Parts: sequence; structure tokens; C-alpha cells
Amino acid sequence: MKNIGLIIAREFKERVYKKSFIITTLLMPLLMVLLSVAPTLIMIYAKGDTKQISVIDQSGLVAPQLSSNEEVTFSISESADLQTELKRSLDEDGFGVLFIGNDIVSNPSNVQLYTNASSSMMIEENIASQIKDIIEAERLKEYNIENLNEILDKVRVNVSLSTFRNSDEEESEASSSAVAGFVGIVLGFVLYFFLVIYGSIVMSSIIEEKSSRILEVLVSTVRPFDMMMGKILGVALVAATQILIWGVLIVAMSAVVMPMLLPDDIMGSIEAIRAGADITALAADGVDTEMVTAMASLTNTGYIAQMVALLILFMVGGFLLYAAMYAAVGASVDTAQDAQQLTTPITIPIILAFITTTMVMNDPNSPFVFWLSMIPFTSPIVMMARIPSGIPTWEIALSAILLYVTFVVMVWLAGKVYRVGIFMHGKKPTFKDLWLWMKY
Amino acid sequence: MNIITAENITKRFTGHTALDNVSVEIPQGSVYGLLGPNGAGKTTLIRVINRITIPDEGRVLFDGAPITQEDIYKIGYLPEERGLYKKMKVGEHAIFLARLKGLSRHEALVRLKEWFVRFGIEEWWNKKVEDLSKGMAQKIQFIVTVLHRPRLLIFDEPFSGFDPINANLLKEEILKLRDEGSTVIFSTHNMSSVEEICDHITLINRSRNILSGRVDEIRHSHGSNIFTVLFYGNEQLFRTATDGRCEVLEFANEITGLSKAKIHIERNEDVRDVVAAINESVSLRSFTEIIPSMNDIFIRAVNGTLHE
Repeated sequence: MKNIGLIIAREFKERVYKKSFIITTLLMPLLMVLLSVAPTLIMIYAKGDTKQISVIDQSGLVAPQLSSNEEVTFSISESADLQTELKRSLDEDGFGVLFIGNDIVSNPSNVQLYTNASSSMMIEENIASQIKDIIEAERLKEYNIENLNEILDKVRVNVSLSTFRNSDEEESEASSSAVAGFVGIVLGFVLYFFLVIYGSIVMSSIIEEKSSRILEVLVSTVRPFDMMMGKILGVALVAATQILIWGVLIVAMSAVVMPMLLPDDIMGSIEAIRAGADITALAADGVDTEMVTAMASLTNTGYIAQMVALLILFMVGGFLLYAAMYAAVGASVDTAQDAQQLTTPITIPIILAFITTTMVMNDPNSPFVFWLSMIPFTSPIVMMARIPSGIPTWEIALSAILLYVTFVVMVWLAGKVYRVGIFMHGKKPTFKDLWLWMKY
Repeated sequence: MNIITAENITKRFTGHTALDNVSVEIPQGSVYGLLGPNGAGKTTLIRVINRITIPDEGRVLFDGAPITQEDIYKIGYLPEERGLYKKMKVGEHAIFLARLKGLSRHEALVRLKEWFVRFGIEEWWNKKVEDLSKGMAQKIQFIVTVLHRPRLLIFDEPFSGFDPINANLLKEEILKLRDEGSTVIFSTHNMSSVEEICDHITLINRSRNILSGRVDEIRHSHGSNIFTVLFYGNEQLFRTATDGRCEVLEFANEITGLSKAKIHIERNEDVRDVVAAINESVSLRSFTEIIPSMNDIFIRAVNGTLHE
């Protein structure tokens, strides 16, 4: 047992003191926070040039009512001739010309937009919906209803759906399926990334130790099984260290950086929700509840800490399982090229699990997703993707237990392959050889 | 007293038998040579003695009792194919290996410094392993093998990769270790080193032990009764004197006037009669038995012509 400790310590030290480890560990969280904040920031701060559209309105009804905003401004053209106006717009570098026909109220199709550059969906939708509203209003006017505007104000509604999670716990939490899905995919991806990257690290470093014959030197004092476990646990410790540092950095950054970046009014709503304010009240104020709930949970340190803890549980279990398989392959081959064929059955379940994470977003409780989150080879990734949607604790516990039991069996088998494999040189082993070694 | 007794070891791998009923006895305090052509099973036998490989049949005794994992700490093993972690620093690496063998960090440090001074390699301490030449790495490996002062040392092909100067240094160190009380087993192809430093050998060929014993006994008992005779005198007289008593294999007249003959005496013939007869007829200067070299014995044993 003392020797396993020495092996783990050596492995850990060698990897953690590497420059590349330190750099990726520090830069990655920064990148992740930037990526998650970027869409919001772009929405808030990035504004395109204001687009000039001159309007020729033969009916004279629509043009005065078109409202301009930061993106588009409408101006009624001086000339009534389309050709001259088109030429002028081109000369003055305008966005284009909107032509509205004389019979627009009775014939809503009689409207054309001529643009000097490529048009955009947003502008087209904006114009179409404005014209629609104007025509509708004009048509209503023809009925000569009294107090029309007041009636309309009373009739119009704006539905804002707030979702709550119905559980036994006293407080029902505001939940957002979009956020859960997003967080799930991110966690699934992190796990996928770790299994593949750190699994191959175990494999390639065993191949290296085998071909450099350091194993021959170690094998007289360290049992092969201890050597393998030392390697796996050492790398696992490195991975856990990295995740832990990332977790801490992300928590710190989201607690400090996010509030600074987000606009005050959104931050204010987030604080209000944290303080226990009724979300429906906020919704009545016209706040985008979906976005605010999302931001509230993403900047909630307790939530992140819980996710990181579960992530480490499944990452370690999944890693130990896959690392054992990667170790067996690494011990049986001489070069990384020879390993390719043998790693195929290892990568297939990982990729299957990774693809399944997108299905989790649609329905985190479908039977297919449920079973994949129980089967140990796919469970770490799929379960991690499901957890943010809030699933029963027994499912998480069962999945974790199955995973750890399978890991023990796999390590035992891998140890047998490892013991024989490290002395095999020159011959590229087949699956049949590995099977023989397991029984050996 | 035998430090190691291997009894009837048989080890089969899928497809072939690496060791077939091999027994060896390694006396305490000896330098024991394990000889044999490539693929004969030497390394497998060493791994069985080391408990790296578990034999299918037979057992290994250490000090007369079945060997245990604890005994492994009393063994220092230098494998034939040996490597080090390239990225580690020499000193750290040596300490790591020493601690695996049960030394404390402090003890390892003190002993390593001693050895580094002795080999004049103190300035390597902070070098990276990848910057060492093969011979330099071999020295480090030798040091960490013997550092924990094991009672039994096993070297698999220790001289491969060493230049003659360092090979000599290694030989001296091996003899020194023996004088300090260690038992040394080493496998080799280098027959001159066997004659120089081994007192016992076992020759393994095709998975079997075909020859075992003390080096001097083996060499003398496998002499072919061939003698070199130097004398002044007439060739004809010499031939007449030896006629019927022995067979003259070679005859040459040296420039100095000395004649040199190589003769073969049948085993049932008394050597004294032959010497007497030659002495009668010519002026005898020297009469020497040709003792076969280990190299000859090795080749003849492997080719199956040892007892002809």
C-alpha cells in the first residue's frame, strides 16, 4: 500500500507541475464564463448601424404611423416616383425604399421593399408586423366603434408563463427547463471531455512506460495491480484537482464578474428573486422571467457547488471505469497506433452517451434516456446531463452505485490483462488475446 | 547454505514452454552466472525467482523457506530492458526508486549522495533523465539496484551498453558487493566476464538446465585431454616416442628452434607414461593441459557436443 502511494504521488506531481496543466487550468474557467456571458453581452451592447429606409406611400395612411427604432428609421420620401427614389437611396447609401400601394388597406399584398444590400429577417418582420397593426387599426376604424382604444387596451393580454417545480420540499423553486437543458449539456460535455482526454492520458502514459521499459524496473518491487491503480488514481487526482479549481474559479467569477457585467435592472430582478420575491409579481412588471431565472440560478453559488460535487462523483466513477479499460489497452500494445483498434469499443459508448445529452434537453425522463443513465458505460455522461433538470435522488444514487460496482469489476479484469500485457512486446494483440489474458 | 533454491520450475506460455523442470541452487555469497543462448528462458527464470512471474509447477525457496513478498525487499533486480522516466530529474528519480524499495527519503538521500560521489557523477543530480546517455542511465540504474543493500542481487545482462572502462568498473563493484556479503546472480552472453568473476554457473538451453556447477570444476571436467608440448629436438624422435601412446594433432617448428605439438591422450592412458616417453627422446620444456574456455564449453553444450 505504501508503494501505491508513492506511485500516485509521482504521477500527480509530474502532471500538476507541468506548465501546460497550470495554464489550461487557469484559462479554461475564464473562457467558460466569457462564453456563457457573451450572448447576453452581445445582445445588450452590440448595436448595428441604424438603417435608413425611405417610404413612398401612395395611400398616405401608413407612412406617418411607422415608428422608427434604433435599428431602422423610416422617412417619407420627397419624390413620389419609385425610380428616382431608388436612385437617390443608392446615392445616399440608404438601406432601401419601401413602396406602399394606394389600395394597401384593402389589398395588404401591395407593399414592396427594395434594398440596396441584403435584407434581414428582423427588418422584414418588423416592417410586416407594423404594417399589419396599422392596417388592422384602419380597418377597425371603419366600423366606427366608440372608445375603441380603451376597449382594445382592456382586451389585449400578455401571457408570461412562470414554471415551478412541484416537489415535497416546502419551497417550490422556480425552474427553467431551458437552463436545466443548457447546464445539462454543458455538464455532459465536461464529463465527455474528461473521460476521453484523461482516459487517453492514462493509456498513452502506460504505453510510454511500457516502451521505455521503466515498468520492467518497477515490476520487481511494485505489484502490477498496484502499478496500474497508482497510475489510474494519480491521473484521477489530477483530474479532480483540475475540476475543483475550475469549480472554485467559476463560482468566484460568477459571483464577482457576472454582476459587474450584467445591467443593473436585470441584476436587481435577480437579487429580488434570491431574496424570495414572487416571480409572478416581477413578471407583471414586464421583466423577462425566463432570462432572470436563468441568470439567478447560473449566478447562485450554492447551485454551482452542488453541481460541481455531483460532477466530481460521476466524473471520478466514470473516469475510473474508463481509465481501467484504457489502462488494459495501453498495457497490451507497444505503440499508440496499435491501440486504435482496441479503443474502438471504448469510445463507442462514450460517443453514444454524448449524443444522447441532446435528447435529454427535450425530455429528461424518457425511457431511453433513463436507461442510458443507469447503464454504467453511458451513465456518467447521461446522468450528469439529466441532473440539472431535477431528478429523484434514488435515481442518482442507483446510477452511482451501479457505476462504482462496475468499476471494481472492470479494474479487476483490467489488472489481469495489465499483468500479462506489460511483458508482451512485438506482437499486436487481438481481442482474443485479451480474453485469454483475463482468464490467465 | 543456499540463498535461492529453485525446485523443478516449469513455466508454460500460450504456445511454448519457457522453463521445463529447471532446478538451480544458488549458494550464499557466490557470484552465479546464468548462461544460455537468446530465448533459452534465462529472463523467465529470473522473473520466477523475483516473484514477477508465478511458475506453473515447482517452487522457489529463499533461505530455505518458500519465498514471500517480504523477501523481495532483500533482492535488488536490474532487468535487461531497463528504462527511467525521461522527464524526471536524476536525483528525484533515484529517490523515488529507492523509496519504492523501502528506504526512507532521508536514508535514500544520504546513500545516493555517497554513490554519486563514488562514481564522480554529483553534477548529474539535477539533470533531466532524457539528457543522460545510455551508459550514464545504466550507472544510475545500477546504483538504485544496489542502494538498499539487498542480500541478493540479480543482474540481467548487466554489461550490455557499457563501454569496456565502465564494464570493468561494474565488474569491480560486483566483486566488491560479493565481498561485502551479497550474493550475485547475473545472466550474460559475455563469457570472458564469466571466467573472471563467476564461481558458479548454470547453462540453460531450450528451457532446460543442461549444465550446472562450479566454474573451475566444469572447465576441468570438460577438458578433452589435449595438451600442448614445447621441446627442443628432432620431430622424428618425438613422433616415435609418442607413437601408440597418443595422437599428435598439430606440429610446428617455431623460429626460435623450439618445436610445438598439440597431442590428444586417451583417457585410459596414463599421462605420466607419455611425459616420461617424451622426456626420454627430446628436451622437454613445457607440458600443459588445454583447459577449455567457458566460450568453448558454452558452444559445445548448446550444440550438444559437450560429452564427445
